[in-house]
Formats: sequence, C-alpha cells, structure tokens
Amino acid sequence: MTVLPLTIAVLVAGGVYLLLQPGLVRIVFGITLLSHAANLILLAAGVSAWRGEPLHEGPGVADPLPMAFVLTAIVITLAVTVLMLALARLGGNDDTYVMPDTEPRPEDDHERGTGETEERPA
Amino acid sequence: MTLVWLLVALAAVPVLVVPLTHVVGRRAGWAVAPAYTVIAALMIPTAATVLDGGEVTARYSWVPSLDVDFALRLDGLSLVFLAIVLVVGIVVMAYSAAYLPQGRNLGFYLWMTTFALGMAGLVLADDLVLLFLCWEITSLASFLLIANAGQGGEAGAQRTLLMTFIGGLALLVAVVIIIVTTGTTSLSEALGSDVWSDHGLLTSSVAVLVAVAGFTKAAQFPFHPWLPDAMAAATPVSAYLHAAAVVKAGIFLMLRFSEAFHAVPAWNVLLTVVGLFTAAMGGLFALTQTDLKKLMAYSTVSQLGYITAAIGIGTEKALTAALIHTVAHALFKSGLFMMVGVIDHEAGTRDIRRLPALRKAMPVSFWTVVVGTAAMAGVPPFLGFVSKEMLLGSMLTATGPAWAGPLAFVGLAIGAVLTFAYSAKIVFGAFIDGERDTEGIHEAPAPLLVPAMFPIWLGLPLGLAPFLLQLPLDRAVEAMVHHEAYELALWHGITPELVTTVLVIVAGALIVSRRTRLRPRVERQLLPWSGAGAIDGFARLSWRAGSLMTRLVAADQPARHVLMPVTVLTLLMGLGSLGVLTLTDVPATVPDLFEPLDALVALLVLLAVIGVCRADSRVTAAVYLGGVGIAVTVQLFALGAPDVGLTQLMVEVLTVIVIMLVLRSLPVRFAHRAHARKRLPLVLGLLAGAAAGLGTWVLTGRREIAETGQYFLDEGYEVTGAHNLVNVILVEFRALDTLGELTVLGMAGVAIIAVLATVPEHTLRRSAPHRGLRPLDSDRDQRAAAALEDAQANLRPLQLLLRVLLPVLLALSAVIFWRGHNAPGGGFIAALVGAASLTLVYLARPTDRAVGTRRLHLGLVGGGVSVAILTGLLGYLSQEHSSFLAPLYTYVGSQHLSSAMIFDAGVYAAVLGLVLIALDLLGTEPVTPAFTPGPRPQPRTPRTGGLREREQVGDWTELPEDEKPAAEDAGSPESTESTESKEQHA
Repeated sequence: MTVLPLTIAVLVAGGVYLLLQPGLVRIVFGITLLSHAANLILLAAGVSAWRGEPLHEGPGVADPLPMAFVLTAIVITLAVTVLMLALARLGGNDDTYVMPDTEPRPEDDHERGTGETEERPA
Repeated sequence: MTLVWLLVALAAVPVLVVPLTHVVGRRAGWAVAPAYTVIAALMIPTAATVLDGGEVTARYSWVPSLDVDFALRLDGLSLVFLAIVLVVGIVVMAYSAAYLPQGRNLGFYLWMTTFALGMAGLVLADDLVLLFLCWEITSLASFLLIANAGQGGEAGAQRTLLMTFIGGLALLVAVVIIIVTTGTTSLSEALGSDVWSDHGLLTSSVAVLVAVAGFTKAAQFPFHPWLPDAMAAATPVSAYLHAAAVVKAGIFLMLRFSEAFHAVPAWNVLLTVVGLFTAAMGGLFALTQTDLKKLMAYSTVSQLGYITAAIGIGTEKALTAALIHTVAHALFKSGLFMMVGVIDHEAGTRDIRRLPALRKAMPVSFWTVVVGTAAMAGVPPFLGFVSKEMLLGSMLTATGPAWAGPLAFVGLAIGAVLTFAYSAKIVFGAFIDGERDTEGIHEAPAPLLVPAMFPIWLGLPLGLAPFLLQLPLDRAVEAMVHHEAYELALWHGITPELVTTVLVIVAGALIVSRRTRLRPRVERQLLPWSGAGAIDGFARLSWRAGSLMTRLVAADQPARHVLMPVTVLTLLMGLGSLGVLTLTDVPATVPDLFEPLDALVALLVLLAVIGVCRADSRVTAAVYLGGVGIAVTVQLFALGAPDVGLTQLMVEVLTVIVIMLVLRSLPVRFAHRAHARKRLPLVLGLLAGAAAGLGTWVLTGRREIAETGQYFLDEGYEVTGAHNLVNVILVEFRALDTLGELTVLGMAGVAIIAVLATVPEHTLRRSAPHRGLRPLDSDRDQRAAAALEDAQANLRPLQLLLRVLLPVLLALSAVIFWRGHNAPGGGFIAALVGAASLTLVYLARPTDRAVGTRRLHLGLVGGGVSVAILTGLLGYLSQEHSSFLAPLYTYVGSQHLSSAMIFDAGVYAAVLGLVLIALDLLGTEPVTPAFTPGPRPQPRTPRTGGLREREQVGDWTELPEDEKPAAEDAGSPESTESTESKEQHA
C-alpha cells in the first residue's frame, strides 16, 4: 500500500479547483499545485520502493532518470510562475474577467520606450 | 573552381560583410564587387567545360534517411543565370557603395549577399529539397530587404512575403508530389522521368503548381502587386531584384521545368495567356505612372510577361527567345534602375511632373538612358531588339489550333506598342520635358554613373554581334529540350517580325508626338481598386476567418478555456485507469512502497491545499502555498532525491518572494464574483484528483527498476567519471533537454522585460493607495506604527547580518556548483542559492531599488544560453561521440574535469538572470528608469522630492531619504550606491 497517490490526488484536486477560479493569482497557485502533483507522479513512475540516493551503486538505489526530469520541470515551473505573476500584476488587478486598461493615460511618462529619456534634464 | 567552393565562397561573403560594414560602412560594396569578380573569374574554367558540352556536378549525402542529397549541377541553363546573378551583382554592389546613405548599411549588404547566395544555390540545385530551400531563402531575403527600407516598406514587405509564400507553398506541394511519384529527389532525374508523359492529369496539376510558384516570383497576374510595392526598398535592391534575383528566380523555375512540361497543354495555355495579359497590363499601368521607379516596376512586370509567354509557347525558338530576353532584360533593366537612382540622387526627385529637362545638365546620363530605353523598346541595333524580334517570331510557332500563333503574335505586338510608349515616356519625362530650372544639377560622379552605364552599354556590342551569345544559349536550350538554340542574328531579312517592329515604332512615335494631350488622361488611377488593396483585403479576410476559427476553441476567460481539456483529461485518466484495472491483468504492486513519513506529508499537503483553496486573502493563500511546497520538498527528500529536493526548496523560497513582490500591487482580498460558478470547480477538482490518484496507483509501482535507470546506475560512473547521476543526466546524457529548459527560462525573462517595457506605465501602478504593513492598533500606539514603518531602522539587523552572510552564501553557491558532479548540487541549485543571496541584498534595502541593470539581466540570460550552446558545439570535437553537446573530459592533476561544467556555468548564469529580472522588474515601482528600454542604462530619477519619489519609497516609509542622517548610511550596502546616484545627478 502506498499513500503517494493520495497526496497526488489532493494536489490535483486543489490545482484544478484553483485553475477554474477567476483571478490570475489563484490560477497561478493552481498551476503550482498541479506541478507538484506532476513531479510526484514522475517520481512515482520511478517506483517509490527504492529510495536510496543515486550517488552510489548498491541495492535499493532510486532510478535517477525521473529525478532529472523532475529537476528540469521544477525550474521550468519557476520560469512559468514568475512570468504569469508578472502578468497578474498588470493593471493592479488580476481579475481575468476584467481586461486591464492598457490605453496610455496623460500621467504616463510618454517618453518611456522611445529611447529619448536620456535627454531628460537631470 | 568546383561548385561547392563556389557556394562556400558566396556564403563567406555575407559572413565577412558583417564586420566589414562596421569598419568601412557603405563602401563595403567596393569590396564585395571585386570579390564577386574574382569568384566569377575563377568559375571561367568550369564554365568552359559546360560550354564544351560537358556537365559539372557535385553530390554529397545530406539526409541519407530521406535519400536527400546536397546535389549541385551546372548545365547551360544554370550557367546563363549564374552569370546574370554574378555580373549584375558586381555592378549593383559597386553602385551601392556610392549610392547608399552614409553609415553602416549592415542590413543591406548582409541580405543582398545572402540573396546572391540563395540565387546561386537555386540555379545550381540538382535536388528538389535544396531547390525549395534556396527558393525560400530568396523569398526571405527580398522580404528583409524591402522591410529594411523602414516604415514605408513594412506593408509592402508583408505583401511581398504573403505573395511569395503562396508561391512557396505551391512549389512545396509540387516538390512533394514529384518526389512521391518519381521516387527520387534528384531534380535532373525527376525532370527526365517517364511519369510526365504517362500521366496526363498528374502532369497537368504539377505543371500548374510550378507555374503558380513561378508566377508569384516573376510577378505575373494576379500575383504582380508585390513588385511595385517592393519599390520602397533602396534603388540598388530594386535593380538587383528586378534584373537578377527574385523575379528571375521565377523565370528560372519555369525554364527549368520546361524540360518536363514544355509540351503539356495546360502549361502552354496558362503561361502564354497569363504572360501576354500581364505584358499588356503592366505596359498600361507603366504608362499611368509618374514616379520613374514605379514606372520601371510595372515595366518589369510587363517584360516578364513576354518571357513567361515565350516559355509557355515552349518551342526551341520560343525558349531561345525567352532566354535571350532574360539576358537583355537583366542588362538594360539593372542599368535603367540604377540610372533612375542617379537621376533621383542628382535632381532630388524621380517624379516626372517635378523633374526639369535634364538633357543639358546630365548629357551622359541622357544618352545612357536613351540607349537603355531603346533596348527596352526593341529598337535596333541593341540586344533588346534581337530578343524582341525573336519573341515576336516565336509566338507564331505556338502549338495548338491554327489561330493561336497569330493571336499571341498580335497580343505581344500590342504589348510592344505600350512598351515603346512608356520607354519614350522615361526619356521625355526625365530629360526633355519639364519647366523647372536645372540650376545646381550636375552630372553624377563617376563611381555612381559608371556601374549604372556598364550593363546598358554592354547591350550595344551584344546587339551588333549576338552570335557571341550563341554558344551559351545553345547549351541552355539543349538542357531544356535537347535541341540546339535558334540562330541569333541582328538581321533575319524582311520578316513579319521586322514589319511589326517598324509598325510598333511608328505607332509609338505617334503616341509620343501627342504626349502632352495624352498624359493627363492616363496619369491617374485607371481602376477603382489596386492590387495592393486587394492583397490587404485578402489578408483581412483570412484574419477574420482565423478569429472565427479560434472562437470555436478559445475563450477569453482562462477558466472557460481550461474547462474542456481538464474534463477530457479527467475522463480519460479516470475511465482509462478503471478500464486497465478491471479488464487487464495488472501486476501486483512492489512491496515497501510505503514509508511512514509519506503519510505525514500527505496529511500536511491535505491541510495546506485546503488552506490555499479556502483562503480569502492573497497573502494567506501564499503562506499555505509555501506550506504545500515545503511538504512536497520533504516528500522529495524522502524519495531519495536530494538534488530535486534542494532545487524544490530553493525554488520555493524564491517563488514565495516573487509572489510577495507581486501581491503588494494587488488588492488584499480575492475578488468575489456573483456569477462565477462555485460548485463546478469543486466537483471537477475532486473528480480530477480522484482520477489522478487512481491513475497513479494503477499505473505505477508495479514493476522492477527501468532498464534505462539501471543503465545509468551501472554505467553512469564509468562513462562520465561522476558520482551524482542526476546531475550527470542533466548536463551530459540529456543535456539537450536542459538546453531547452534554459531557453525557456531565458525566454520567460525576456518576455517579462518585454511585457513590462511595452505596457503603459499606469498599468504597473497600484490600483488603490497602498497602506503598507501596519499594526492593528496603529492609531492608538504611534510607537508601534513607527517601529514597523521605519524601514531604515528595521533593516539594520539584516544589513549587518548580510555583511557576514553574503560572502558565506556566495562561497556556498560556488561550492555547491563545484561539487555538483559528485554530490548533490550543480548549476541549478548553486544558481538558486546565488539568487537567494542577491534576494537578501534586495530585501536589505529600505527602498525598492534594483539590484542589477537591464544589460546585466539580458547579459546573464543571453550569455548563459550562449555559453551552453557553445559548449554544445565543443562536443563536435569529441573523439568518441562527435555530436552536439557531447561532453569532453580532461584531467588537471588528479581532478577530473568535464566540459559539462562549462555547460553548468551557462545554466547558472541563465537561472540567476531570470531571478534577477523577477526581483528587479517586479520589485520596483512602477519601473525604475534603469529598466526603461533604451540604448543604455538611464540616469536615475532626481532625488529631490516629487510625486515619483514618494511612490518609489512608498511601501515602507513616508520619509524622503534625503532627510535621513547621512552618517547612518555609512557601511550599509545602500551608502555606496547613494553616493553613486547623487554623482550622476550632479
């Protein structure tokens, strides 16, 4: 018997629940939970009966390949999370039902992006 | 010179021209022209072999599994086109050196020489795949050259790309059909195949596809509008494009496939009808233009119509005529284009209505243009006359019904009258008519004029002695129809062609004499719509169709968007697992899958996940999320994955920090939406969870250790000399995966920079005034409020700690990096530790100040990916397994070193770059000037108060920094930078 599937089930349930919420921050949190679940599934595929660290040969050493996959996945999750959080920040609101107003406003610094800012008197 | 060396030499030119333009700017043309001359001279012995009736081929295995070869062949036809590409290339390059504006002109030379390479590859290709590849290179190069013209060229460049890609698709389909039916990718074998005579319908369809491809490049109706559009590009580009490159690629393709299709009725009818129609239409449109360059463009459309029509006739006389006219057109049109550039350069305009009578001021130019236009109009004794005569005569040799030949003849004659008229219009418009003063206008300098004159005047001796071209044309026509070319001569006796030419000249002269009355009538838009408008309309239509299509599958709200895939996945996973469990004989689970610690983790995860889902405030949810992360980390360690666990731990820390940075600019509580579905997410979530859990239980833990895993355990150390197998898999065995991952990291960083740099600034500000953190009873207890809000004092302990901790952390990061090969560690973990220490530096600052600069960010990300790729290239040096990313080993003393460590350093840099980007772009508000897009880092905003300043300080303290005692700053990491920035403002 093993409880790893239970942990995975809880993570997936929470992840999907959050994924279907309206706010982008909750969606990002949902994706984080789903990533945890995916990583554990990958490791479960390497059979959790052998838990020796793959630093030496010997009986009971774990399969290193799923670990390498998971390591890659974790770092990509970081990249995706950071990118989506940056998007969530736009407009000061992460509600996906409201499009942030991206029209320039008078108070915006219009020189931004034209490369002329360096000529601004300091 | 062998063919491969020819291509290598031509490929070396664009590579070398990049540094060259940095040094000498536009004068690079004076280096490229001699280079092409030398290349052309070295090709003469090879060309002689071909002229003697031989054939030069080269064949290298390229994609053996698909039977695709890198095959080249120089026959008579390729030789003619290769000569055009090189000769016109030489004069255009020499001309560009004097014509282009001062400056580097990097794009121009790079794409022009790439263009020449693509053309040479196209005419030499003896493999259908290679042919297609070179065809697309010329498409892309022309797009880039036109787009290079700046804003005016963008729309035109896009239309050009659209048109030429339609042709590219047609050619691709044709190529695939040919390869499948003939069973070979060799062009010469495919063209000589018996398939074409045996299968009528197949042959016709392929012929039509090839014709469409040819039409798009050779600007034949209805694909012609891109050519006048391309006028936005610099004049040398037009000269090359019209005379030698793209449009001639279309002609070449049609000539090349004539071998197989010259007797296919669909090919004959399509090419002849479209060619003649385009010739007349182009001539008419040319007459309506007042811009000399546009006039030239429509004239090219018209002239190519003649050639297309002659290729369509398909007899050896017609093919000879098409070839000789291709040569003649290359000469006079490249020259005339450059002459228009000369006029534009000297008179400041190329609009006939504004040009003065330049004849007196620019006599040499005048006579050169007269000769060029006379050749274009088909006036004896120029080469243009010889070719026009033969074109007319060849129409009569048309196969099919008896009336076809004479009808084509009359059609071409009508085109010839229009050609004469617009040719005369160029001369009269630029040099004879016009009231404005010519004062201050002089003859162009020799470096500009001579390259333009050369091809035009070359038409005179060739016209007087056309037999000079007989031998190459014989070989070229032989390559197509296995029959020698028709005899070239200036004088064939009194023939219908000659009579027609006289009539054409008379009719043309009549039009010229009445030009003042006729001009206002034709110099207007003849049709209510234009070709460019039609293309844009088509593009709009396809965009609309595309958005209609996407509406079927996309939704604006992420929740609706993911609903379908989640449901399907849940059903698949749940029902599939149940099916496997009930219907198949599932092996029993391996014993000892369970450890007591797992149960604890499961419980913690359950509680924390409930917390994340139920939390009302964002911060609370983030805290629970961190709890989930830590519990999962414990699980990872418990599963015997120390590397993964360490990485997860560091990622968890950094994620929480980034989340907190972002949450500061968002409302405290989650939004509640009355209409948002509440029950559906819960039900679907529980079902998905159950399905995933069931799937994991059914499908995992029921086998022995995998074969691959066992291989790594058994052989990993022997192969790599490293003990940490996970790290070795990442940087050696599966380094390509890791390279892809790095690229994802880098792209995420670049995307953040790009998004935040392009949105308006107010979208980055907080929606509501933010109060910062304050104790609950702050109104009563002022001291408590002050203690929390005085950032300077609050951070003092952290700053002091950092002085000790930072070196330790950096050293730790280095150690972790170094030992990664043999013990838990490696580039990822080390980079995350390094990033965490920089995060501490950021957190120890009382204001939201960036840690790095934009250049540092992009440098780290780009540098990291570049280092990784370069290490990959090093792998080709490996003795045993020469391949991309193959590791190299060496020993320094007793220390075993691997090139994978350099790769790991690339990993380190890219990860650090991404985290820095996240900190600096998300942790500053709204965007500090250091991150505004621009050529170099900007000076910081003045520190003298103002709204901006307060906002930047905003989060922790309302005190402007200037009011703080300067002595307190001494020693803190803050102080040095403060001085620095103050200096910058001084």
